[in-house]
Amino acid sequence: MSEMWINMGPQHPMTHGLWNLRVRIDGELVLDVDPEMGYLHRGIEKISEDRHYNEVITLMDRTCYVAGFAWEHLYIIAAEQALHLRPPERAEYLRVLCEEFQRIASHLMWYAAFVQDIGLMSPFLYGMRDRDLVLDLFQSYTGARMTYEYMRVGGVRSDVPPGFTDQARKVLDWLLPRFDEYDQLCLGSEIFHKRCDNLGLLKANDCVAHGVTGPMIRSAGVKRDLRKDRPYSVYSQLDFDVALADSADVTGRYLVRMEEMRQSVRILRQVVDWLDRHPGPVVADQLPRWLGAPYAPVGKEGYLLKRNYPKGLGFSAVEEPHGEAQAYVVNEGGEHPYRVKFRSPVYANLAAARQYLVGYRVADIPPIMGSVDVCVGEVDR
Amino acid sequence: MGPEELQQALAPALGDRLLGVEPFAGTAGRVRFRAEGALDLFRAVLALGFTHLSTVGGIDWVDHREVFYIAWSDDRKQYVLLSADLPADAPHIESATPVWPSANWHERETWEFVDITFDHHPDLRHLLMPDGYEFHPLLRSFKLHEPEELEVKTRHV
Repeated sequence: MSEMWINMGPQHPMTHGLWNLRVRIDGELVLDVDPEMGYLHRGIEKISEDRHYNEVITLMDRTCYVAGFAWEHLYIIAAEQALHLRPPERAEYLRVLCEEFQRIASHLMWYAAFVQDIGLMSPFLYGMRDRDLVLDLFQSYTGARMTYEYMRVGGVRSDVPPGFTDQARKVLDWLLPRFDEYDQLCLGSEIFHKRCDNLGLLKANDCVAHGVTGPMIRSAGVKRDLRKDRPYSVYSQLDFDVALADSADVTGRYLVRMEEMRQSVRILRQVVDWLDRHPGPVVADQLPRWLGAPYAPVGKEGYLLKRNYPKGLGFSAVEEPHGEAQAYVVNEGGEHPYRVKFRSPVYANLAAARQYLVGYRVADIPPIMGSVDVCVGEVDR
Repeated sequence: MGPEELQQALAPALGDRLLGVEPFAGTAGRVRFRAEGALDLFRAVLALGFTHLSTVGGIDWVDHREVFYIAWSDDRKQYVLLSADLPADAPHIESATPVWPSANWHERETWEFVDITFDHHPDLRHLLMPDGYEFHPLLRSFKLHEPEELEVKTRHV
C-alpha cells in the first residue's frame, strides 16, 4: 500500500467545529497526524487590547461557546487582580454556581456529540434534552442561553431572581438520576465497549510532557484539578471529590466526565443552600465610576478618557470543563488591558494529537477525537 | 516555595543570567532571566519539579519584547512564571521544546503573533494564520483601526 495524506475537515462530522485534521495513512493505519487550526481565529487577544475591561467579557462568552461562564470567570479573576479589586462573597458564590452549571451543560453537550460519533443516536437526544434544563436556568437570570455577559469586574451583573434556588434544586434532583441512565445506555452496551476500550491511550507521563490537562489527564490516574490544587474563588469552602479513572483510554474519559457531573451536582447543592442563607450585595461598592458605568460619558472625551489607575498584573488559572485554562492580564493604566493572554486547555490537548492517534485505524479517529472534546472557539480564540 | 527560595535554588546553575525573582500573583514567583543559554534555566526549573509547561507568550513593549513561560509543579501545587526581555530588533530565544515538548504549539503561536523567533524549534510554521501571512498581529504597530476624527455636520433647513 502507498502512503498518502488525507484531510479530515474542515467540513467533517468528526471535527465538531471548524478545523482540519490532516492524516497520513497507509491503508487504514494512521501513521502521522497534523491538526490544522485557525479557521475560527477571531483575534480575541488583539481585540481585547482595544476594549474596556468590562467589554472583554463579551468576547469571553464567544471564546468557548459551550463553556462561556468558565471563560468569563477566568478572565474576571485575572482582571480583578490586575485592577486591585475584590468582589463581594455572594458574587463569588454566584460565579461558582455559573461555572458548575456550565460544567454540566458543557459535559452534556460533549456527551451528546460523542455518543453520536460512535454511532449511538438516542443518547444524543437525552443529552440535549437535559442540557436544555440547565440553559433554561441560565436564561432565567442572564436572559441568554449561550452568550451570557453576566459577570462584571467587581461582581456580577445582577442577583438571581426570587424562586431561582428552588428551581435549581428541581433541576439538580432531575439530573442526578439521569447520569445513571446515561451509564446504562453506554456502559451497558457491548458496542460502546468494543468501540472505546483501549482506544486513544495516553499515559500519565505523556500527558504531563505534552501539556494535556482536564478529563484527559484525570482519566490517566493523575489527580490534577485546579479547584483542589490551587483553589480559586470559594472552592476551598466546598466539599467535592476529584473524578479519576486509570484506563487512560476513551472509556476512561467518559467515566471521568460522568463522575464530574455528579460532583458538580454535589457542589451546586451546597452553593444553592449558601445562596438561600446569605443575601447581600453582588457588586463591590468601591468600584471606580468608569467600571460601574462603562457607557456613561465621563468628561469631554467620553468614556475613553484615560485615568491614572494603578498598574498591575493579573494571573488566573481555572479548571474549565476541558481542563486548565489560564488568563494573564497586563494593566498599564487606562481603561483597556495592555495585553491579555489566554491559555486554552483544548489547544494543548490537540497539540498532543500525534501521541494518541498514531497507530490506530482511520475509523478510530472519530471516537478518539470525540473523547478529547474539541471546542474550536477556544483553540483559535 | 517563595521567591527567595526560588532565587537560591536557581542561582547556582545560572549565575548572573538570573536577574531576580519577584513575587507574582499567588505563584512561586516571577523569574526574570537573560535570554542567553535559556535552556539551562528551563532544565533547572524542570529539576525543581515544574514538569508541566502551561503556556508560552509574548508581550510587545515597543522598545523591547518580553517572552514568558508559565509552568506548573504537581508536587508543589504551584505555578512559576519565567520572563525574559528581548531586544525589539530581531528578538530570538532558544526553544524550550527539548525540555518541555508541550512548548511546541505555544512557541509557534508566539512566533506568529509577537514575532519572537525560537531557535532550533522543530516545526516553526504558521498555526492560526494562513501560510505566507506577513504580519504579526499582537505587535503594537499592528493597529485594529486608526483613531478617527468624526466631524458632525448639521444642515440647517
